[in-house]
Amino acid sequence: MQGLLSFDQAPPFTAPLRFFLSAPVFALLAGLILVWDGPSLLASRWTPGALAVTHLLTVGFMLQAMLGALIQVLPVVAGVNLAQPLAISRWLHVALSGGAVLLSSGFYFASASLLITGGIVLGVSVLGFLVVVVPPLSRTPSTSPTIRGLKMAMSGLFGVAALGVVLALAVANGWSIPLLSLTDLHASWGFAAWGGILLAAMAYVVVPMFQLTPGYPARLSWWYPGLLLAGVVLASLSVWFEVPGIGQLAQGMLSFLGIAFCAFTMHLQLKRRRARADTTFRYWQLGLACTIFALFLSLTATFWPALAEYNELPLLLGVLLIVGGFVPLIVGMLYKIIPFLAWLHLQNLGGGKLPAPAMHKILGEKEMNGQMGSHALALVFLLGAVLLPELARVAGLLFVMANLLLLWNLSRASWRYRQQSKLMREQLAQL
Amino acid sequence: MTDSKTPHVIDARYMEPPDPFVKTMEMLDSLQAGENLLLQLFREPHPLYRVLKENGHRYEVELVADGTFEILIWR
Repeated sequence: MQGLLSFDQAPPFTAPLRFFLSAPVFALLAGLILVWDGPSLLASRWTPGALAVTHLLTVGFMLQAMLGALIQVLPVVAGVNLAQPLAISRWLHVALSGGAVLLSSGFYFASASLLITGGIVLGVSVLGFLVVVVPPLSRTPSTSPTIRGLKMAMSGLFGVAALGVVLALAVANGWSIPLLSLTDLHASWGFAAWGGILLAAMAYVVVPMFQLTPGYPARLSWWYPGLLLAGVVLASLSVWFEVPGIGQLAQGMLSFLGIAFCAFTMHLQLKRRRARADTTFRYWQLGLACTIFALFLSLTATFWPALAEYNELPLLLGVLLIVGGFVPLIVGMLYKIIPFLAWLHLQNLGGGKLPAPAMHKILGEKEMNGQMGSHALALVFLLGAVLLPELARVAGLLFVMANLLLLWNLSRASWRYRQQSKLMREQLAQL
Repeated sequence: MTDSKTPHVIDARYMEPPDPFVKTMEMLDSLQAGENLLLQLFREPHPLYRVLKENGHRYEVELVADGTFEILIWR
């Protein structure tokens, strides 16, 4: 019986853990840059510091956590088994981390060679990941909305990375291309076609599973990823054929779709069967509320040009979507995935002869909740700093603190797992 | 897939992991020849599918409108 719980072929714990442990380090670096640069970083979305911080968070934190988690969960949520997951995770982790540092340094120090190297390293990393994942994923029949969503998310990942490489090369070499509209398009591919679709595909599984809510209706969840992808393709066509009206329509459609998904997920959360609200639940509420707010602002700006001209709007949207939206949603998932994986591997190690410790012994609710409080405080100050740049250094310090605590929590969970494995091996040897 | 044809039903839609897996394996241990088991979940249990195949069980999956996956299992 216990042996059957082995979820055989699941990658070893260290495969995803290396991504999860290094993600907060990049967020910490982003916070330090904000402390170092202070108010000048927030003068616009185009300052070297703002560009560096954005990519430390989106590539160093988000992409790192997303790809690491995918290596782990593909066998469980899609029945897709990767050959040699540990070897893949080793090179991908090094390449992604190196690429994130190079690209961000390229932006920060305005160095063409660093930008080019970083862009190419990241492009090759993503391509390598797709080469490994896409063949087995495409051979898997789309029996669930999650599998269908994962397939579409892969095209989103390709789109955001390809545009990113082109933009990095264009900025470094001074190519004459429409930088503004291509940057907006790069963000649309990243947030909607990659992040949004991946999030929806995972939410279909993890929201009912971790928060004990009802499921997402079959028909809606089946079509949702396709609608997001269609919106991004429409936005791309409008840039290609230079028809801004269609681009506006596509942006409006994407904002509306995002709001609808977040609002529906909140509606499911209200119907949950778990009486007590835990940290994952609260982190998801924060992430969903901030995303709704960001997309509502974006939707309003699409049809009300006066708001779109407001200089602080892109920064406000960035902070709300990344620090308020994606990061809380990702950390909320990590706080369930890491203790569960630790428990699962310990359970397998025990082989039915020794019980694994309860999940809350690996990572306690109080520790997670405290960290979430510090993240929420940092978010409030970051939003404040967009409007009152004098707050930038305090906001940066608070963000560093929140990510130190996250790193501490995840490292402690990893340490407890190692200690417990060692103890169990000793006990098993004496049996 | 109606309940009358499948007297053994595990509604695991509001259970935390690994309870759905554990309860299904327990129920399968006591399943008599010719009997069916209907498992209801809001996700596809791929790790369970693998174990079912290894143990010689057969299954059919249907996704119903409210997002429930109904997995009918027999030997």
